[in-house]
Amino acid sequence: MSTGARYRHLFTPLRLGPVTVQNRIVFSAHLTNYAADGLPTEQHAAYYAARAAGGAGLIITEEHSTHRTDWPYEKLIHGFNPAVVDGYRRITDAVHAHDVPILAQINHNGGQASGLYSRLPVWAPSPVPDPLFREVPKAVEPHEIREIIDGYALVADHCMAGGFDGIELQCSHSSIVRGFLSPATNRRDDHYGGSLHNRARLLLEIVDAVRDAIGGDRALGVRICGDELIEGGTGIEEAVEVARLVDATGQVDYINTSIGVATATLYMIEASMQVPPGYALFIPSAIREAVGVPVVGVGRFKDPLQADRALAEGLCDLVGVVRGQIADPDFAIKARSGHATDIRTCLSCNQECVGRMGLNRWLGCIENPRTGRESTMLPFPEKRSKVVVVGGGPGGLQAAVTAAERGHRVVLFERNDCLGGQALVAATVPSRAEFFDIARNLIVAARREGVDLRTGTEATAEAVRAERPDAVVVATGARPARPWWAGDHRRVVDVRDVLEGRVHPWGRVVIVDELGFHQATSTAELLADRGCEVEIVTNGMVVAQDLGITLDLETWNVKAHAKGITQSVDLVPMGVADADADAEGQEGGGDGPVVLTLQHHPTGTDRHRGCDWVVCAVHQQPDDALWRELRAAPFPVHRVGDCLSPRRAHAAIVEGHRVAVAL
Amino acid sequence: MAGLVDPVELAGRTAPSRVLFGPHETNLGAGRSLGARHVAYYEARAAGGAGIIVTETASVHPSDWPYERAPLAASCGPGWGAVAGACQPHGTLVLAGLGHCGGQGSSAYSQSVLWAPSPVADVVSRELPMQMGQAEIDAVVDGFAESARSAAASDLDGVEIDAGSHSLLRQFHSGVTNLRTDAYGSDRLLLTREVLAAVRGVLGSDRIVSLRLCCDELAPWAGVTPEHAAEQVAALADRLDLLVVVRGGPFSASAYRPDSHTPPAFNVALCRWMRDAAAGRVPVALQGSVVDPDVAAAALDEGVCDLVEMTRAQIAEPRLVGLVRQGDGTRVRPCILCNQACHVRDDRNPIVSCVGEPRSGHETLEPSTEGVDGLSVEVLVVGAGVAGLECARVLSARGHRVRIAERGERAGGMVRTAAVGPGRERLARLAEWLIAECLLQGVAIDTGTEVTAADLDAARAAGTDVVLATGSRAAPLAFPVDGSCAVVDAPGLLAGGADSLPPGAVVVHDPIGGPIGVGVAEWLAGTGRDVSLVTQDQVAGTLLSRTGDLADANTRLQRAGVRRELRALVRGVEGSRVVLEDVWTGERRRVACGVLVDCGHRLPEEALPLRRPDVARAGDCIAPRSILEAVLEGRRRAMEIATGVGGGGSPVPMGVAS
Repeated sequence: MSTGARYRHLFTPLRLGPVTVQNRIVFSAHLTNYAADGLPTEQHAAYYAARAAGGAGLIITEEHSTHRTDWPYEKLIHGFNPAVVDGYRRITDAVHAHDVPILAQINHNGGQASGLYSRLPVWAPSPVPDPLFREVPKAVEPHEIREIIDGYALVADHCMAGGFDGIELQCSHSSIVRGFLSPATNRRDDHYGGSLHNRARLLLEIVDAVRDAIGGDRALGVRICGDELIEGGTGIEEAVEVARLVDATGQVDYINTSIGVATATLYMIEASMQVPPGYALFIPSAIREAVGVPVVGVGRFKDPLQADRALAEGLCDLVGVVRGQIADPDFAIKARSGHATDIRTCLSCNQECVGRMGLNRWLGCIENPRTGRESTMLPFPEKRSKVVVVGGGPGGLQAAVTAAERGHRVVLFERNDCLGGQALVAATVPSRAEFFDIARNLIVAARREGVDLRTGTEATAEAVRAERPDAVVVATGARPARPWWAGDHRRVVDVRDVLEGRVHPWGRVVIVDELGFHQATSTAELLADRGCEVEIVTNGMVVAQDLGITLDLETWNVKAHAKGITQSVDLVPMGVADADADAEGQEGGGDGPVVLTLQHHPTGTDRHRGCDWVVCAVHQQPDDALWRELRAAPFPVHRVGDCLSPRRAHAAIVEGHRVAVAL
Repeated sequence: MAGLVDPVELAGRTAPSRVLFGPHETNLGAGRSLGARHVAYYEARAAGGAGIIVTETASVHPSDWPYERAPLAASCGPGWGAVAGACQPHGTLVLAGLGHCGGQGSSAYSQSVLWAPSPVADVVSRELPMQMGQAEIDAVVDGFAESARSAAASDLDGVEIDAGSHSLLRQFHSGVTNLRTDAYGSDRLLLTREVLAAVRGVLGSDRIVSLRLCCDELAPWAGVTPEHAAEQVAALADRLDLLVVVRGGPFSASAYRPDSHTPPAFNVALCRWMRDAAAGRVPVALQGSVVDPDVAAAALDEGVCDLVEMTRAQIAEPRLVGLVRQGDGTRVRPCILCNQACHVRDDRNPIVSCVGEPRSGHETLEPSTEGVDGLSVEVLVVGAGVAGLECARVLSARGHRVRIAERGERAGGMVRTAAVGPGRERLARLAEWLIAECLLQGVAIDTGTEVTAADLDAARAAGTDVVLATGSRAAPLAFPVDGSCAVVDAPGLLAGGADSLPPGAVVVHDPIGGPIGVGVAEWLAGTGRDVSLVTQDQVAGTLLSRTGDLADANTRLQRAGVRRELRALVRGVEGSRVVLEDVWTGERRRVACGVLVDCGHRLPEEALPLRRPDVARAGDCIAPRSILEAVLEGRRRAMEIATGVGGGGSPVPMGVAS
């Protein structure tokens, strides 16, 4: 395949003022939580360098704070501290080694913060509390506005000393500049409030000050929010006007875009697979018509073809691919060299990237165990081994792929005809179909690496021994466990029974959710679509609570409402009985309709639900029979994933990788 | 009977008082080791007279990494040595807190499976642990022994082993989490005995082995009950030099160190029971919201215990024991059991601190307020909320002449409003203590006194320093009200009392998700009113997760009959009904509303500050926030004045000159 031939636009160079990018793929700014004590780390350098080595056209770092009043999350880089320059230099040297330009994003988060870390009042245009942080900010006074602008200029100086090729001003989704631009948060009556021209005054003053600081041979970009998706906030028409004002300064080399407010409508900024790709392209396309400088489009670009098409259609001049390059640092190089099918496609599951950010944890990736660990070298394998992997779910596949990549000979047994394990099951629900990419990526890699894949083959202990392995990885997964209260009633089933097609519930269905994640909501959606009347009950305070961290909660609730799915909380299942049992009640054991008894634990009162089926989203049990048989074998036997303890896919991936690296 | 400040001997070592500073999360660590901030934090308590300090519980094995800054024993040797070196000169005994959280840990940091006696998911995290095999059990026993060896090598006086509410050992003790069919299941104390034997083997008889033991899991259907615990205490007493009686488990995460909704000293009966079971074979410490020196002394007097753990009390007042010793027990800064700044098992890694003593946890950054300045100046403080009171307290203690002018009839400010609701009355004690300290130090508090800009000018012309702490005012409602219902804000409601409310259904609007809205709803429901609590969130009182009260608060609200109108935006009041809109679906519903109580955010009271913007400000008049910010800023303004007259210490770091 000729280099990038199938993409007519993606791999063409473009000038951003004084900086030329070799292709249109941007690793846009995003939080990583890799900073320590307010300073950039070796991990930052290794992380960005990996994407530069992988062929990204332009890298924009995570934000650097411009002022000590700005400290919304613990691991923020304090750009205003002169000590950052050494770390900046490490980053820019590492990226420049691959001939890729890198810009620094600088920002003050304004009122989208609290004083928890800074022990200082939060600064904002007006005393309007942020919906997430809920702290009333101090309305900045004129001398404080001057201090803000000086802070941007100071940090721009630090960035220049640190070797960056330019600066991006984040004025979009979490910024004091956004705060001033937005009528929702700017209620000032001085010349920084009121008309758009006034609200944009701070932005334009910062543009002046920063351009002054960086001179003419570095690039300056401005990132603008095209639609805040909040009441009374900035919409696309005003965003276009702001872009015009920015362009008219003649000092800005490109405009980046975003959608949503980080502390109110984050689920549209880092949209999960529930939101269609390309959903935010109306923003760059509208801005592009109004300005002369290049415009970056963002929003769930998962594959190079889709990115090339956005360029071809003239919707944007560059494409932000963040999660796509978190999952696969070699996204660009694989596309360019004609190996796009080898790209470890992002699932947009948000579990270990976005989901870890809100919890103050380092950025990772559900399917790339090296993300967040780039600065740690892996040991070289001591010898070439024969490895037998049992189980073709994500854990087993990951172990097989990593072992094969490291030179081991690998045989993988999978009992079923298809590889993928429970990822396959999870992806049977239409709105979760992209989750299957976790398995698809691994299957492609396993084939590429020459893993001997034996599907439809039960691995008995005897069969494993017959392979004369040096090591065995048992990844045999889990099977549903029947909760104590379910008795043996045939109308009480597991979500896997439903998703794997063993049962087909009808009528009124109660789903008992003890997992708080996609299992219950996916099944509910599926059954509601098949015409069932569905209620989810949980012992928790909220149904599917963990959808909050993956930003799926909003879309789930909208869908649940539309599909008539009801949700009830604080309910503990206590038992089931046949609906036609006599007044004494009896142990479930029948095969007719069910009465489920639930205790409302805050009040200690019992509730009853008559229904046709009860579906359990509860913890499974390890399927570890093979491990028990083999544990005393003369070769090492490792368990990974659910057969060790049933958890989410990331645990299986991490363990599969870890075991393979240690071989 | 021995008193609080009397010494006690344990394993041949003498603690100078019977007050224990127990192990707790601080987030002060450098990585997983104890850092310089830990040393300064513990040293302040040792200097203040603590008898025994147990350092932050360290994981005895790498399989345990329950929170990001959780110490790892293998990394703690130098830190333990530094803490011992700082504290032992004060006579204080230092024990290493050692533990393993088992299934109550987190895999987020280790990226490894959790270990537990049985595959029972934790109620809070819902994460399923693996069942430990013999190899894992042996590793944990070895981990305790090796950690104890390291503690001894660091010259600590011994160790405290965690079998409390968040511990692997308790998980083995409990029928809720131990479903094993092997020897560790039939004899649930077996692992603990193995651990104690291994640790004793390392430490010998002249270092202290203390056990923090959960004696009531509050899960009587399968968990550890006091009856079980009494048997455990009898079985273990001879192996121990100290027993700390605690409660709490998987279904009662907040019961171990609850906020003020649980009465102080709640473990008295439990502790007495366990002390009886110990039958004098081991000294017993009382834990559980013991914050008042008199209550602690009474517990010793009455034979409830031999020592008293007063952890939060010493976070609030590092000098607690010393003050009691010199007869100034009434001057101890009260712990108000708010859990707002000291409850730091929180993903955000907040640093342990105290709303009333914000230097706690920040000993290396915030200057001490102690000392007397060479030159005494006149200071006028406008506003007698906690910001103004703290400013006046610090300045008067440093020898300055301070007058507070307060517009209202009573000093104390918004803290009195925040003290509304059952179990929240203690908050007012901080204001009362500040007032008492001010008066004792000669501060003039002039209530009912309005200060004008002209008064400020006159004071400044006369050389008086001025600090504005004028507090907050109500913000206008963000939605239309057609006049069909009464509208009152939380301070107005408190001023008038519940009887002043007009009849009809009460709707409490709480867009903050905080303690005041929840407290008001509980209080009014308790007076027999029909109450709805409206929030845009999925649960009531979202921010209470930070104090550990979230689940309990929602339970109390439901038991009190308060209707929680969740995920609801208020769109207006029409015809005595409040119009609510679902935050996600946009669906509207209407709820009867005779009285609307606004518990929303407030605005700074800045009439005076705006007229004289160059005058120093503190607290809510900069931006209405919590007690901590008010106290901190009041103190910073005081220290800026003190520094300005050549007084104590370094300039305030990171201070904003207003």
